[in-house]
Amino acid sequence: MEHKMTFDDLWEQEERQALKKRLLHEYPAWKRHRARRRALAAIALMAVVVLAPFTIHLSPSRGYDSVCCNRTTFPESHWVDLSAAILTIQTI
Amino acid sequence: MLLPLLVLVACSREVEETPLYRQYASRADLTVAQVAGFQLNDSVKVDVVILVADDSVAWQSLKEELDIRTSEGVTSWMGNIDHPQQRVKRSERPAWRAMAVHGDMTVAFYRMDDNMQYEALVDYQMENIKRSETDKKELK
Repeated sequence: MEHKMTFDDLWEQEERQALKKRLLHEYPAWKRHRARRRALAAIALMAVVVLAPFTIHLSPSRGYDSVCCNRTTFPESHWVDLSAAILTIQTI
Repeated sequence: MLLPLLVLVACSREVEETPLYRQYASRADLTVAQVAGFQLNDSVKVDVVILVADDSVAWQSLKEELDIRTSEGVTSWMGNIDHPQQRVKRSERPAWRAMAVHGDMTVAFYRMDDNMQYEALVDYQMENIKRSETDKKELK
């Protein structure tokens, strides 16, 4: 479906572009602020990626401190299975 | 930024493997797990070693090794800390409280270092039995 831009849309777009240009040009502090914000977002994203595996060991909701297993590659579901195994034994 | 990372690495360090875990960890037909600090209640934790047989052949072999002569329900015993297949008196410490569940082809060993842990484990199991009875009634 074709979307035709109205004069108001174009005007708004032009205004936005002009404002952005002015901000970048006339306010270097705003430019630095934007760069800093982007850098912080990138660091936060990296931290999430790097730290995600450790959360498996530290999750307090599991009811135990740590687990080691003889299977070298086990997905998250395997951890759940192990804790379920304990619970099964406890409940019988 | 680095400090929380170092703390997390320190916290997630490898668990010290018990001889029981090491004894079975090399077996290809068993899934072996060691759970450190399994929470029984607000103040009592125990270490647990779980052996899960991958198939009925492995389960049969494990049963023979552990001298389990029953084939239904749950079999439990107090085992010697170095030789868990050897039955010991209920009061011996440290010892393994072993529970074998035939239906799941699983044996769990709970390390009992003192009476508080033993009592907490019994209480915990009783609570769970009550809860499972309640669940069954609710299902009916």
